[in-house]
Amino acid sequence: MSTAEKVLVYDRIKGVKQIPLEEFYTSGHRTCQGCESATVMRQFIKAAGPRTVVAGSTGCMYVANTSYMTTPWIVPWMHTQLGAGGSSAVGMAAGLRALMRKNRIPQEKINVISFCGDLGGGDMGLSGISGALQTDYDLLIIMYDNESAANTDIQATGLTTWGAQTTFSPVGRVRRIMHRRWKKNVAAMLAVGHPNCRYVATACATFPPLDFLNKVRKALSVGGPTFIHTYDPCPKGWDFHPRYSHELGELGVRSGLLPLYEIIDGQVVYTYDARKTAKGRIPVREYLSRQGRFAHLTEEDIAYIQRMVDEMWDEWEVPGVAPFRGNLKVPA
Amino acid sequence: MAVAQPVGVYEREDLLTGCQAVAEGIRLANVDVIAAYPIRPYTEVMDAISKIIADGKLDAEYIVADSEHSQFEIVKHAASVGARAFAGSSGTGWMYGFEALVVTATDRLPVLFLVGNRALDDPGAFGVEHNDALAIRDMGWLLCWVATAQEALEHVLLGYRIAEDKRVMMPMALAMDGAFLTHSQHIVRIPSQEAVNRFLPPFDLAERRLHPDNPVSIAPQVNEDWVMEIRRQNWEAARRARGVITAAYEEFNQVFGPRYKPPYYFEEFQTEDAEVVLVGMGTVAMPARTAVRRLREQGHRVGYVNLRWFRPFPTLELRDCLRRFRAVGVIDRDFAHGAPDDGGVLLHEVRSCLYPLRERPAVVNFITGLGGRDVSIQDAIRMYEITQEAARKDRLDGFVTWVGVRE
Amino acid sequence: MIKRVEINYRGIFQKTLAKKIGGDIVMIASRMGQVGFSNGRYSDAPERNGIPCKYFAFVSPDLSEEELEAECGAKLDIDEANISVVLDDTMVKGVEPWAWHGVRPINEKVVPYGHMLVVSRRKPEDLVRFMARKPYPYYLALLEGDTSFAGLWVYRDDLTHERVLGALAGLDPQLLSIEAVKSYLWEKTHEQHRVDAAQQAFESVRQNIYEVTPAQGIDWPYEIPKLPKWYEFSEGVVVKGVPREFHLGPKGQSRNQLFKRGTTKSQRPVVRFDLCTKCTLCWLECPDQCFDPTPDGYYDVDYEYCVGCGKCAEVCPVQECIVMVDELAFEDNRSPWEHWKQDPEGYVRWAEEKKGKYRVLPNVVTGTGARVVEVEPVPVGGKPKPAARAGA
Repeated sequence: MSTAEKVLVYDRIKGVKQIPLEEFYTSGHRTCQGCESATVMRQFIKAAGPRTVVAGSTGCMYVANTSYMTTPWIVPWMHTQLGAGGSSAVGMAAGLRALMRKNRIPQEKINVISFCGDLGGGDMGLSGISGALQTDYDLLIIMYDNESAANTDIQATGLTTWGAQTTFSPVGRVRRIMHRRWKKNVAAMLAVGHPNCRYVATACATFPPLDFLNKVRKALSVGGPTFIHTYDPCPKGWDFHPRYSHELGELGVRSGLLPLYEIIDGQVVYTYDARKTAKGRIPVREYLSRQGRFAHLTEEDIAYIQRMVDEMWDEWEVPGVAPFRGNLKVPA
Repeated sequence: MAVAQPVGVYEREDLLTGCQAVAEGIRLANVDVIAAYPIRPYTEVMDAISKIIADGKLDAEYIVADSEHSQFEIVKHAASVGARAFAGSSGTGWMYGFEALVVTATDRLPVLFLVGNRALDDPGAFGVEHNDALAIRDMGWLLCWVATAQEALEHVLLGYRIAEDKRVMMPMALAMDGAFLTHSQHIVRIPSQEAVNRFLPPFDLAERRLHPDNPVSIAPQVNEDWVMEIRRQNWEAARRARGVITAAYEEFNQVFGPRYKPPYYFEEFQTEDAEVVLVGMGTVAMPARTAVRRLREQGHRVGYVNLRWFRPFPTLELRDCLRRFRAVGVIDRDFAHGAPDDGGVLLHEVRSCLYPLRERPAVVNFITGLGGRDVSIQDAIRMYEITQEAARKDRLDGFVTWVGVRE
Repeated sequence: MIKRVEINYRGIFQKTLAKKIGGDIVMIASRMGQVGFSNGRYSDAPERNGIPCKYFAFVSPDLSEEELEAECGAKLDIDEANISVVLDDTMVKGVEPWAWHGVRPINEKVVPYGHMLVVSRRKPEDLVRFMARKPYPYYLALLEGDTSFAGLWVYRDDLTHERVLGALAGLDPQLLSIEAVKSYLWEKTHEQHRVDAAQQAFESVRQNIYEVTPAQGIDWPYEIPKLPKWYEFSEGVVVKGVPREFHLGPKGQSRNQLFKRGTTKSQRPVVRFDLCTKCTLCWLECPDQCFDPTPDGYYDVDYEYCVGCGKCAEVCPVQECIVMVDELAFEDNRSPWEHWKQDPEGYVRWAEEKKGKYRVLPNVVTGTGARVVEVEPVPVGGKPKPAARAGA
């Protein structure tokens, strides 16, 4: 554990047998078979517990969970707008703080959590999240990233991996690759831009086990506004058989394309550092080849993605996190 | 307006702009959460509130938002946990957050907003125009125009009282002409906290509030099996609001003295024996009433109807009022390009309200005062003359006159 | 006269296929001088993997396009189907596409003497035993074949599309004539094997039409929820959350009673509790929270809610402990753990009989094929062995 981790006091789940058994987001929702975003929902509220209020912005985790006029939520939950992930959290936190201070409701710790997808968090709602991370309210914003506007049947967003096929980036006869944007680095961007924000992390719902659950607990314990970006392999959008959802997450992380880390009070702690494993990072090809959305990639395309990932880990000052390059390699 | 009122109801007088008067109302209403974002001409209300909070006169959360969309969402979610909330905007800012405004109504959350009426972009212009607030009219909002700073303060209190009523539960837009009311200073009598507490009950969202002790899910996704019923519920609430508005004014008068006369939705000025009236909203009342006085000196029987409540529209009351006259001139400080007869928004509302009558007054329309252009007393007199002419004719050729445009 | 064709399919996995079939029905009928149009069922969208969906095609030989549109257009669902195509035979167990809809029979819309065309390798009695009894006769036609699944981006070209068109011609030559089907396919693709596939299906389906009488089928066990009037439910678009309730054991976790989702699955996990090492992974990784922890540390499956994704089977670290088996092999949603506790050896025999000798391991990219492996069943008391992982 890092110094920062040792100092942070929170109710850590030490083993799989200690994971709370009760569900607060339960069966009976219309998500895809194998949906990792649903797993994210289930895990975050399991880690947070029942003294929580949740706002969920428009996206798969709204429409698929509550279709129609129904709910799988056991804790209080409210819909919010696509770009309102940040502002909804601030509104709930401010309202609760005022009511407690004015003695209209009992004083207690109530977790305030808002979630948004990659479109709502990385693109549309970025200004609202930024505003939220500058406040002093205790809140957690979770951006669940399935690399597409999944609820509208899979369109590209700022967090879609380069080259992926979506309905906005189909493979055509003249233009084979329509999506040429490199995945936006949202978590690090937010950490760099909000020095008073004490906790920012990336996570994968199911790999490594317990990691996401504990990250949620850390975020809810540290105080102030916090942010977690989860990587959610999406069988519908990425085109793989639902039973392999866990595999895809693990492969993405092991390849280095999906960096796993947390930033606690300015300290970067790698959750999974592929450089430190015996085999090192696995080739991105092993991850890309298992998804139908990359079936059209050529050797050149894969080499490009590999090069970008190599740069992330070999050349950045803060590998996998922040694309700052030092002058260390330039001779005097 | 000088009427005897119960002792101890007003604690002092102050010179306040329309914005500042609203800020005093927010203080007295013990609002819990305020979200601010700057746009002329409503911004001053937020300046004033921040000072009130900084000086310890109001205990509230004050958040400076990153955009109007965030601003409106913040107060909506604050209301969802049971906090009394306030925000506001003007012109294009109001439009920026429009999505949030629509859902606040369909979520049935009684947040109060100040709309400092301002012309919509493009081009950018700061002057008064009513289209910003009017844009919300179909969505299930309470919408009213105030014409004085005193009214502005009092309608913050009335606003929360009506909006938060369990039979209503709709957000409220308090519209105020930019510059002419937002920025001009008038003497305002400020109620005592004790009197306000007698009038305004605390906000109670009951079984709809978001709290761990009340596990509900608010606004799940729906399909064609549900939307129509939900709309019907909200339609019904707007209808019920009329009765609640009347009750609220009566309660207000009991606490503060007979400040408002029935039917409360509008105020008539010298209409008892009038042949011809103008109807308008906001500060255009001032040149209009002055024109009435001058014309009356010359023996003309004219009057003015100052419409306060636009939504819910006081159909029956206004119909009963206007049917007495031979001609009605509707003043639109807004535009509705391409509308029937190319008339403004209020024209269509008034016409529609009069339609069921077998015998109706002639109705003409004036589009005036757009983008902050003055409506002078002379302009008002001209409007009366045109309306009087309409009263004399058997048939009208044109309905709309642009008053005050250079042509 | 109006012919209404509904295509029942599994969302996403058969989306492209259903759309092609529906669209081509209209194109071919139009070449025959008829009018037609097609559309998906709006409330199905956005589709989710496995959720039951419908696509419609409307054709008329005698009405004008305007009249056909007036009768069938601007509507979200149909009241009756002359032909109901079922692209995944597990859907005969019932379909529940969204909350408040209820689990409804697959043959709900079929008209008297209408046709239900099912792509299946099963015998008719295997299917009818799950279907609701209707008060009039109708026909069940079987098109022999495996369920054709593919993802959004890589289409599975296994000729199911062409064969269904051929089979439709076999059921109703006035709707689509086999000549029109073949000439359309030839013109579009110039590929003889597609034309031949349609012809072959046309011939074979006519040998596989069975009349289903009012005596056959089951009394439908599911209730359809009643939608409340506008004044019968809360204002403010608020619904009560699922009540908080948890205890160890089968159905110990409270779940959403309005939407059970069990009809989303084509397969269900069969668990060998005797091999289980209680690692928690199946329970932990299930996106639909279908596992109920038991007092003795196992994880029971609530099949009413299981959507059949197979994740549990994949992450289970023990070979043969969780295996996905075709949904049509199961009559009920009995708690497997309870079954095992009551009769440990009988349960294992039952489980192995359901699993059979072959394991089908789909390739990672949907619809690109699968490995079929023959296995030796693990006897009761056999040692748990580590499973191979797809990522390895």
